[in-house]
Amino acid sequence: MRAEHVRIYKSVHTWTGILSGMALFIAFYAGALTVFKEPLRRWSTPPAALVQPVPMDEAQPLIAQALATTPPAARVTLPLAGDQAIPRLEWQVRAPGADDHDESAARHYTATLGEGGSLQVREQPPSRLVEFIDVLHRVVGLPVDSDPNRWVMGVVSALYFVALVSGVVVLLPSLVKDFFALRVGRNRKRMWLDAHNVVGIVSLPFHVVMALSAVVFAYHDQIYALQDKMIHQGQWSQPSARPQGKPGAAPAHDPADMLRPSQLVQIARQAAPGFEPSALQYTQATGPRPMVRVWGKNPLGVSPRAMGGFAAIDPYSGKLLSADYLSGAQTTPNLFISSFFALHMASFGGTAVLWLYFLLGLAGAWLFYSGNLLWVETRRKAQRKGGAMPVQRRDTALMAAATVGVCIGCVAGISLTLAAAKWLPGRVQDMAAWHVGIYYAVFFACVAWAFARGAARAAAPLLWLAVACTLAIPASSLLGWLAPGAGAWADGGTLAVDLTAIAGALTLAWMARATARRVRSGPQDSVWSARAEARESDENPAPALTQ
Amino acid sequence: MPAAPAEPIRPDWVSKTLAGLLLGLSLAFTASALLMTQLRGMPLAVSGQLAMWLVPPVWLGVLSSVYFFRNGLRAWAWLLGANAAALGLWWWLRQGGAA
Repeated sequence: MRAEHVRIYKSVHTWTGILSGMALFIAFYAGALTVFKEPLRRWSTPPAALVQPVPMDEAQPLIAQALATTPPAARVTLPLAGDQAIPRLEWQVRAPGADDHDESAARHYTATLGEGGSLQVREQPPSRLVEFIDVLHRVVGLPVDSDPNRWVMGVVSALYFVALVSGVVVLLPSLVKDFFALRVGRNRKRMWLDAHNVVGIVSLPFHVVMALSAVVFAYHDQIYALQDKMIHQGQWSQPSARPQGKPGAAPAHDPADMLRPSQLVQIARQAAPGFEPSALQYTQATGPRPMVRVWGKNPLGVSPRAMGGFAAIDPYSGKLLSADYLSGAQTTPNLFISSFFALHMASFGGTAVLWLYFLLGLAGAWLFYSGNLLWVETRRKAQRKGGAMPVQRRDTALMAAATVGVCIGCVAGISLTLAAAKWLPGRVQDMAAWHVGIYYAVFFACVAWAFARGAARAAAPLLWLAVACTLAIPASSLLGWLAPGAGAWADGGTLAVDLTAIAGALTLAWMARATARRVRSGPQDSVWSARAEARESDENPAPALTQ
Repeated sequence: MPAAPAEPIRPDWVSKTLAGLLLGLSLAFTASALLMTQLRGMPLAVSGQLAMWLVPPVWLGVLSSVYFFRNGLRAWAWLLGANAAALGLWWWLRQGGAA
């Protein structure tokens, strides 16, 4: 490799990185939390909304009654808990023509059996808190998972992939020398660069998987459509190409004749030893192709989706319609495809892998944050010994402010909207809108504050704000425990959420202290020096940033 | 690529990037078509997914290595050649498959 290649690829790395860095920070921070979607959902669900489980076959009358009335296309879900079921059915009805990824456009319903066995259907807007955090991660901080927003994510992911390759090309010639070197010392930039390199190289496989799968998630519809025209001669869009139930004459099905949940679960378990069902999802129960998906996870297998895999079963005959998505019973090609999803969504290997992905996600967020800091630092004009203070470039000051505002604003906003989950129920009507509003209010306030004050004077206070917002998570649980009348609640089963928030708050506090020290006593020719900024604004009071 | 040490490498940002974006994408689709010819025994519902997953790695792989070319003209020439070769191979395989 020639030195010119390294120089060219350094430019590629700089520009792809700086264009995608902040969006990727949000995607990785929110994505790391999305790994623990289910614990967060339990943490944020008020105890009044919990339904006591019953032996699963006791849910059969509820299923039979509900399915006789629900629209055939609805996916009616019965959550399971071990050998029991939560006797409350859930389904969504989408407006015709709505984007099938945009769950915010759907109307949510639940059905229970009331006193005397009468069916009670309610439209219940869910809090959608964890879904909102998931959407933030899917579309890099935008509020809705729609087609255009996903294309933005696709562009960011493509830039991210090019940044990964170019970063490796730049590092390769000195990899052997630099890999095990973390030069902690007077040269702060060298230390940050070493750390950026070692985190990037060590987690490179994780990042390659994330970048490529995110591009697929953004553009798969377009790629399929084009391949269908060019390669599959239109066969892909024919219904027979997709895994479906067997077609045929449609006898009038009565949902009361369906197999009981325990029988369906038994069929799935027999098809895939080790498979642990977590939900039954009925579609077309009265239509021509009745099907129940037995969802679940298999610790011995790879799950094709974040919520696991499923066996597709005919609920009347008990015939296994498809094992293509059944973790533990897939054919090799299906397993191969599922592994792409599993490697993105951490749906393999159990709890240890979830924690690993959580840490890799946070490390990824730090990678992009440090990349932006290095960009700023590289453009710093150093003060000569005894010389006058040089005039810094305006773009570096703006980039520093944006990085601080966006990254810390995202952390603080997510923390506060999480904590709010313990205070909103019963107080507001539309919880989903409140969660979105709280996040963006904090996020944009932080960004505005960072630009108004300049990076140096905003960084430490913003970090302390993030500490306070994150501490509000365990504080809400604690208040719920001490004063149950206040509206919040505590749940011993989700203590790990509170403990993780405390650990996060401590880390943020450590960062806040270190940043404050740097701002006070670091080199004055840096964008991180408040002394340099103060003097600048004395000379030129209007903009807080260096000119 | 063999490179004479005296000749400098030109960045040619626009032409190289366009070559990577456009010709990389067409090469990726042709690569997925070639993969499909090898997966005939598999149901389309499965092989079609594998072919879709092949497109982004090939496309972005080409896009991110395109800056190694000595100049933009060479990038276009080599990638056009690769596209023609891949398309020709696909055409030839389909002829052979029909016979």
